[in-house]
Amino acid sequence: MTDTSVNPSAGATRWTCPFCLLLCDTSTVQVGPSGALTLSDGGCACARRALARFVARPSTASARVNGRDCSLDDAVSAAARLLAASRQPLFGGLGTDVSGARALYRLACRTGAICDAAEGTALMTTMRATQDRGSFFTTLAEVRTRADLLLCVGGTPVDQAPEFFDRCGVGEALVVKRHVVVLGGTPADDAVLADLRTRPGVTVESIPWHRDLFGTVALLSALVSGRAVREAPAALQSLATQLKQARYAVIVGETRRLPPHGALIVEGLNRLVGTLNQSTRAAALWLGGGNGAGTVNQVFTWLSGLPLRSRAGPHGLEHEPLCFDAPRLLHEQAVDSLLWVSSFDPEVAPPSTSLQSIVLGHPDLAQSPASVFIPVSTPGIGSPGHLFRADGSVMLPLFAVHDDGLPTLAGVLDRIAGALA
Amino acid sequence: MSSLRLRGGLVIDPANDASPVVRDVVVRDGRIAALTPHEAVDDEVDASGCVVMAGGIDMHTHIGGGKVNLSRLLLPEMQRRGAEPFALPTNPLELASCGSCTPGTLATGYRYVEMGYTAAFEPAMMASNARHTHMEMGDTPILDHGAYVMLGNDELFLQMLAEGQDFERIRDTMAWVINATKALGVKVVNPAGISAFKFNQRKLDVDEAHVHWQVTPRQVVHTLARALRELGVPHPLHIHGSNLGVAGNIQSTLDTIAALEGLPAHLTHVQFHAYGTEGAKKFSSAAAQLADAVNASPNVSIDVGQIMFGQTVTASGDTMRQHAQSGLASPRKWIGADIECDAGCGVVPFRYREQSYVNALQWAIGLEIFLLVKDPWRVALTTDHPNGGPFTSYPHLIRLLMDKGFRNEQLAKLHPDVAANSALGSITRELSLHEIAIMTRAGPARLLGLRDRGQLGVGAAADIAVYRDHADREAMFSTPERVYKDGLLVAHAGRITAVPAGGTHFVEPAYDRGIERYLRQHLASHGSVNFDAVAIDHDELCTCCNGGRLLPAACFEATP
Repeated sequence: MTDTSVNPSAGATRWTCPFCLLLCDTSTVQVGPSGALTLSDGGCACARRALARFVARPSTASARVNGRDCSLDDAVSAAARLLAASRQPLFGGLGTDVSGARALYRLACRTGAICDAAEGTALMTTMRATQDRGSFFTTLAEVRTRADLLLCVGGTPVDQAPEFFDRCGVGEALVVKRHVVVLGGTPADDAVLADLRTRPGVTVESIPWHRDLFGTVALLSALVSGRAVREAPAALQSLATQLKQARYAVIVGETRRLPPHGALIVEGLNRLVGTLNQSTRAAALWLGGGNGAGTVNQVFTWLSGLPLRSRAGPHGLEHEPLCFDAPRLLHEQAVDSLLWVSSFDPEVAPPSTSLQSIVLGHPDLAQSPASVFIPVSTPGIGSPGHLFRADGSVMLPLFAVHDDGLPTLAGVLDRIAGALA
Repeated sequence: MSSLRLRGGLVIDPANDASPVVRDVVVRDGRIAALTPHEAVDDEVDASGCVVMAGGIDMHTHIGGGKVNLSRLLLPEMQRRGAEPFALPTNPLELASCGSCTPGTLATGYRYVEMGYTAAFEPAMMASNARHTHMEMGDTPILDHGAYVMLGNDELFLQMLAEGQDFERIRDTMAWVINATKALGVKVVNPAGISAFKFNQRKLDVDEAHVHWQVTPRQVVHTLARALRELGVPHPLHIHGSNLGVAGNIQSTLDTIAALEGLPAHLTHVQFHAYGTEGAKKFSSAAAQLADAVNASPNVSIDVGQIMFGQTVTASGDTMRQHAQSGLASPRKWIGADIECDAGCGVVPFRYREQSYVNALQWAIGLEIFLLVKDPWRVALTTDHPNGGPFTSYPHLIRLLMDKGFRNEQLAKLHPDVAANSALGSITRELSLHEIAIMTRAGPARLLGLRDRGQLGVGAAADIAVYRDHADREAMFSTPERVYKDGLLVAHAGRITAVPAGGTHFVEPAYDRGIERYLRQHLASHGSVNFDAVAIDHDELCTCCNGGRLLPAACFEATP
């Protein structure tokens, strides 16, 4: 990555990609004669896959009630009736941007809904570790400018963030020598490392687990802390030394790849960062919160004072990071209706449920067996918007590529709230 | 068209009146107006027995942006009332929102307004986090707001200074950032120190060189202050000085004032920067030295950052000092971050204890500063919310300042060595309502360059607080009878009555746009976002702020 500036050519639209964790914003979008959307620089696999789901023409998708096309007014009324009759709604998915999140919160307050994102468990993994012990984190520009050791725990994040190593400047002259280590990777990660190895100043290393992830993190922490450890593998001993000698070591992990009880891993590595920061500099970079989940979590937190997995319930504002787990609530039938939001990705479909449900999302979700379906505009395609990047500090504007003719999520939610009155 | 007359209140309007005066205050279409007593109005309110002031203005309160939201994320246990969750609002105009030391933005707006405040300013907005900050402020209902963008730790500024680039280029860069982030001013936090910590430097005195860039805090402070002066930005450089919280840091504070060489500046939360090293515990009050320096330096204004006993959270951009203090975290957890080659943040929960000598002395030092600085126009009343204590403690603080007997009662409850080692007990000054009105509205408005705020002169915005006069000033300032925002009744006897979106104050200093080419190149080679995505334009600001009004403040005519 050498130039982040964009000079849109005729017919091209400045664009921020909302479809991965990194919100890349150096490409422009071109609309082909058939309405197909392509990127000026070809784009990454994530962006290409996502753009293939859109055509730059006004949408013909219709709202539906009980499987039948209907007017937006009728669908809004049906959604309002459904929520009004519900004793405990669940708002799930939560694939939207800031504006949608603001409206979701207003409706959640009106209905007493419990709110949990599609990857709520992964989101809570880092959150619960933070709530327990805190963290020390970093952001992309810091990594790009100064990180001389990148330790990717559990693999490289290129599936969710294909441009990750480019965005981190791996191979750029800003940091003359960079070492990239994958701990517990797969052959696919080894292939990524093989590519990185060809870049100037980059050395790579792949280290397997020592028994399992939990054991490996415990062992590495002990080694970095200088505690006596018997029979530590040489590679981990070497890694501990490298971490202590690095000027700025950054530990990278994807929350969705962590196993059950992953908060223990996050906490262990956050503590390891804390140990390193006693003598040198280090930070963690936990990647997650894609599909709008990280953004909605931030918005709910600032509005209410509490993050997701909360509700404005009969006793007050309650936050229950374990109890308010959407899959569990559905499984136990602890909720009696579901409102599912997925504006970015039709593959993030509502879970199978016998409950009355409302789906607000990408037009391709029309076939989901929901009681009410309302197609909504995708921020960054059919409407402008705002999302947080995965590192949590940078919020970027999303630009509309074309007018898809669909209502925004916020518009639909506010209409439903109005109909509840 | 709507009009209102507040009849017969004791009007305390230091910007226009030398002393309190009983008179009517008339509002027409959101502005203070001049009407004869007989002209009819839509709403006539009997304000006799009441004190009428402009709406309160908090010029330094951490109400929005990354570190504030991290504080909320870190401390869900503080977003409850003991064992119980915060109850839902009974007022249908309010949405559920909770928290004590870092409430949600909604609760922040409601609670400020219920106390008679109508504007609050976030003092530590990172350029890279500006959209987020404006979003949160926009979701803080009713209050007008604005933010100071943090400079002086961004690698670009330090590099330009280190390379000896022309001052004009540095000044243009600052102006570009102010414009791009829609800031009202510029704050420097631990000048060069946040960056130095990224290079593993753990301490930075005013004349000590940054280990990488080899520039000193003195250079940083002087350059920033001079540039703001030349750009005509009304609020001068807002300085969180070097060595926050360190015993003996009074020397850094005095050195920082000297570094200004007479340039205007605002030293913030000076209570945390007025410590000596005398006594058995090597920790003493340097409030008198600080007050002497402020009294002798008409170019300097301050806010205090009073501490209040109890649980709070300290949320700061000062990663270097927050890391150093993190061992004192209570509960034992904290968040730190290096952010975008721009700045950083540190969130450390803390409980100020009456029986802690250090905490009790901090409390006394803050009050000493309030009472020893002579000119109230240069002192703003703050707790550096939430760092010294939550903003909801202001009525208590006002009583401490206005009521010597009450103050001494509180002093007697503290660690016994404090009274012996503090001048506080011997200070007899009690602030008047006139002085409180200066420190909480007229002064901050003037320091920020908000000409039509903080006062009740004809043409001013009709932001008004009407307090029932009460000998217990804490009770009086906790629950005003009526609060008006732009002439609209927004709170009545502690109950929110309307929730308009607040406006955003910002400045747009002029600069040579030739600098943008250089900034574009720098961002391309060192940054992580598209240069074209950095600047927030008026339309986007409006979206961020929920459609609140845009309130650009005028720059003054620059005199290089």
